[in-house]
Amino acid sequence: MRVIDVVVNGHLERVTVAASMTLLELLRDVLHLTGTKEGCGIGECGACTVLLDGQPVTSCLVLAVEADGHEVRTIEGEATDGELSELQRAFIDAGAVQCGFCTPGMIMSARALLERNPAPSDEDIVEAMAGNLCRCTGYEAILHAVRLAAQRRAEA
Amino acid sequence: MTEAFGYLRAETVDEALAALAEDDGESSPLAGGTDLLVDIRNGARAPRRLIDIKGIEALQELRVDRQGIRIGAAVPLNRLAELPAIRESIPALATAALAIGTYQIRNRGTLVGNVCNASPAADAAPILLVLGAEVEARGPSGERRIPMCELFTGVKRTCLSGDELAVAIRLPAPSAGLRTGFLKQGRIRGHDLAVVNVAGAFAQDHGTLSVAIGSCGPTPILLETVDGCDGAADAAADRVLALAEAAVSPIDDVRASSAHRRAVLEALLRRLCAHLLSEEDDRCA
Amino acid sequence: MSVPDARTPYVGQSVSRADAIDKVTGAARYTHDLEPPGTLHTALLTSPHASARIVSMDTAAAASLQGVRAVLTGGQLEYRLGLYLRDKRILARDVVRYQGEPVAAVAADSLQVAREACRRIRVTYEPTTPVLDPREAMVDEAPLVHPQLHTYEHMEGVFFPKPHSNIAHHQKVRKGDVGTALSEADVRITAEFYNPPVQHVPMETHATIAQALPGRRVEIWTSSQAPYTVRHLMSVSFGLPHANIRVHVPFVGGGFGGKAGLHLEPLAYVLSVATSGRPVKLVACREEEFNTLPSRQGLHSTLQIGARRDGKIVALHATYVWDAGAYADYGVNVGRAAAYSGAGPYAIPHCSIDSLVVYTNKIFGTAFRGFGHLEVLWGIERAMDMMARRIGLDPVEFRRRNLLRPGDTTITGERFTEGHGSPTQCLDAAAEAIDWGVPSAPASRPERVRGKGIAVLHKAPAMPTNTSCSCVIKLDEDGAADVLISGVDYGQGTYTVLRQIAADELRLPIDKVHITWECDTACTPYDWQTVASRFAYMGGNAVIDAAADCMRQLREVAARALDCTEDVLAFEEGVVFVRGDPKRRIPYAQLAIGYSFPNGNSIGGPVIGHGRFIATGLTHLDPNTGQGLPAQFWTYGAHGVEIEVDTQTGEIEILNLASALDAGKVLNPKLCVGQVVGGVVQGVGSALWEGFLFDAEGRFVNASLVDYKIPTAKDLPHRTQQILLENPQPGGPYGARGVAEHPMISIPSAIGNALHDALGIEFTSLPLTYERILREIRELAEGP
Repeated sequence: MRVIDVVVNGHLERVTVAASMTLLELLRDVLHLTGTKEGCGIGECGACTVLLDGQPVTSCLVLAVEADGHEVRTIEGEATDGELSELQRAFIDAGAVQCGFCTPGMIMSARALLERNPAPSDEDIVEAMAGNLCRCTGYEAILHAVRLAAQRRAEA
Repeated sequence: MTEAFGYLRAETVDEALAALAEDDGESSPLAGGTDLLVDIRNGARAPRRLIDIKGIEALQELRVDRQGIRIGAAVPLNRLAELPAIRESIPALATAALAIGTYQIRNRGTLVGNVCNASPAADAAPILLVLGAEVEARGPSGERRIPMCELFTGVKRTCLSGDELAVAIRLPAPSAGLRTGFLKQGRIRGHDLAVVNVAGAFAQDHGTLSVAIGSCGPTPILLETVDGCDGAADAAADRVLALAEAAVSPIDDVRASSAHRRAVLEALLRRLCAHLLSEEDDRCA
Repeated sequence: MSVPDARTPYVGQSVSRADAIDKVTGAARYTHDLEPPGTLHTALLTSPHASARIVSMDTAAAASLQGVRAVLTGGQLEYRLGLYLRDKRILARDVVRYQGEPVAAVAADSLQVAREACRRIRVTYEPTTPVLDPREAMVDEAPLVHPQLHTYEHMEGVFFPKPHSNIAHHQKVRKGDVGTALSEADVRITAEFYNPPVQHVPMETHATIAQALPGRRVEIWTSSQAPYTVRHLMSVSFGLPHANIRVHVPFVGGGFGGKAGLHLEPLAYVLSVATSGRPVKLVACREEEFNTLPSRQGLHSTLQIGARRDGKIVALHATYVWDAGAYADYGVNVGRAAAYSGAGPYAIPHCSIDSLVVYTNKIFGTAFRGFGHLEVLWGIERAMDMMARRIGLDPVEFRRRNLLRPGDTTITGERFTEGHGSPTQCLDAAAEAIDWGVPSAPASRPERVRGKGIAVLHKAPAMPTNTSCSCVIKLDEDGAADVLISGVDYGQGTYTVLRQIAADELRLPIDKVHITWECDTACTPYDWQTVASRFAYMGGNAVIDAAADCMRQLREVAARALDCTEDVLAFEEGVVFVRGDPKRRIPYAQLAIGYSFPNGNSIGGPVIGHGRFIATGLTHLDPNTGQGLPAQFWTYGAHGVEIEVDTQTGEIEILNLASALDAGKVLNPKLCVGQVVGGVVQGVGSALWEGFLFDAEGRFVNASLVDYKIPTAKDLPHRTQQILLENPQPGGPYGARGVAEHPMISIPSAIGNALHDALGIEFTSLPLTYERILREIRELAEGP
């Protein structure tokens, strides 16, 4: 067991973890941030996507100990003081949410995209989002939501 | 994870090596973890300890200069693929890196890791083979350079010993006018393991064409260099195909049959040659 | 049914989902996210063999592990389970019937301990010969998957298992004289088709928490499409009164039919009993989702079609052999539905269908979006193209001449009317959307070819004749309305549609209409199941009924309060007022829990409306002829597709996919389009990539997302179109029909037809992988 310090959504969390605990397990089981989901446990579906130092990663394949000294952002940190972000609003408006299980991961991948590329092309959006599987929407509305969020930010 | 193992975050290569030696080959270096953790979950590997090398500054180096290219073992694939110097000098290396996994996986997974995992379908292998890359390895007896064509010894096996650490991949500076290409065929356009992948390098000034093939044998395969190539892509492709025919031994597996691999291989090799020799084919970078 | 008002501010609008805010913030809690105090975690030990006797089991080492609270094996559990045919145990008992079948389960303080304990369980098996192909399983000497089939309880009069065989059910349709008609036909074709078993791949795997409570009660939280089905089957299986079983369904991360029955709940319950009432949580990991939890049945079809030279079909003879896998589950009902739908939306005077549901030693089949119709229409719509070409007619024109029209009779004797909607309009719309009849533009590269294909579809809800739904609407003190209903919104958006309906019927602004998200059998009233594309239809009607009840109560009290007759009252924006004298008005808030006169006298009381809807006019099907009325309504549609194929690699791209559906009334365009696109892409998955692979011993070979590929964002058609027709459905809420499953149906058929157009090759087996396509191209090129 080791003591680790991880900044999660801006809060410093000091926890004691076993080496084999994944970041996903830390978030869900220890910190009770259940917004991040487990879909496959092997990095194939993207449902567990969080931002590690601003980069989208599949948290099922990151050990909690690897996050020691690093910053993690999850879906719970996307809204500010209860105000939905432009991405969250775009997902709602574009009809990009059905069962919602893939949604947190999708939003985190989109968040990282817009931070590194505020004016993504359609191809950029597909590249950034293709690591997140969805079984309900057929993706079109999700890709449109990302486009919409980027547009609205540009217009703001 | 429900499997148990220890963890050490190494600060230096020496510290990492000492830990590997201490655990007598029963521990594993940890870079991106995107293959290793899946193998642990599946029961394919059960290391006693994971030795995290990402914190070792020297392994984070990504250098492109007139001497060549050095890609440290801790450099994630996205960082490699997005470096303008790489995209300009060896576009196929960037393309191959981007063909691995998903965007999220590539923020963790490394080129060195992809190579050391030694899947016959490793997307990084073919381009590194044709470019004459070397693996820089450090062990208790010091440092050695392993030519890529000697690295792979079998399915998911390399000639690295359990107490050795691959610290970097080195590539010679590409010659002026070197054209490179990489093609991968999966079962789906989304992320997938390769059913077949190929890479090639054509040195126009020398007329030499080097081609490597993945997912058609127990290891990635570097074909004999083809000399005296001019702009005639079809003729070169014929020669490459003959070499490939003799060198590959694709199997039937869950992803594809051997017959399908052979058929796709032919198509990809022709397209690769068209791209490299006559600049006709814009499908491969 | 509501008489549509000229003013429906919400029905027909693209109202956004209210639940989306919980989903985009991570606040939505799915069964995966719940953990009552004291929760134990479960691991399963599963069979490595497709067929074997369990010789012995030793759980001592597992039970003694620190942190283990219960270890159970099939030998300890006498209960029998089964929706329609009680052929299943909670854990395998004496024999295992598929690789992946659970043989033991451990509940422990942590998942780590539970898995370690499972590793310590010793099982000795004596493998026996599995039967893996349902056609072989039908042969007399085949090993029996269920030698005791004749002793199993089953739904008599509806399902007919054949004793001492592997046939779980045989459904027949007999109309006219197929033999003679076929022999007299001008043109005949015979063809065989195959669909592999396929998995739902919901993003949230199956998950259940069960807590046994004192007095033979149980409380369950489960990722399910059917809380009342879970309750009922638990009652039947364990002999518990319904009221003793409380089922909660929180947010559900996708179902697609896979969560419509009883799956992990019994096991979680018996483990909880064994731990003296600890909550036991059982979550399938993705590998278990593939390998242990049920699939969509595979299907072998043999079709014979006879037609006249003028293009009129005269006869259709179909044999459907369903690969039910090891247990009957929903499979027998799929087989039944496939029979009565099994000729497609065509007017066919002579028809004979045999739909056989056959046991094999493989993963068992359950409900899956489309309920057999995608599988059946793969064959039917491919065969229709073959017949059209044999006669020399354009495939669209051939269909036009045969699609059901008002006055025609279906193969089960149902009269087709205007109110059914228009398959012909759907066909024409889809054809026009892909410029049918205009050759494709040249392919993007010399080695690529293009083609176009069309296919039609139909489906009615496959449901019992007494299927019903109920709804309660109660007003809050502020005059807002709460809708309580036990259909499940697992992504389709039906709750939003029901809110829209309630808002229009109650004359409330939509932000004052709430729907209780969680289903709870203690509080939300009875609903059959959320499957079959019937929830918007039946739930919508139940909401309309409940709203009318609320309005009656409001009207009665308001008339007394305003001292007028009920007939002069009008309702708008949550206010009741006297028409022509709007100053005489009362907001709902003043009536919601009763009305008080200025002097304090109070009348009325809490306004609680209840509504219900039961399927009307349905009949059982004749066991020998299949004649009867199984369908509350039919939904028709068509897909047109243009594809491009790389003839050197087999890679196929979909350039344009146009879907036309006769929705009756589009209750919410944004949500409806969402269902269509989602279903289409899931259909593309079935068409091009999805299918279980087994080795010679019947073991799964591709039971993970690494090798079972579903479409990603890179695998989409370049362009999709959704054309929603509105020929009203009599009896539907605002004229609406269900459209939830339909977008997926006939996607593979349209693509298969397009492939023939492009390549001149008849594909008869799914999936249409690059490898299959390339192999056929090369074989054609090499010649005979």
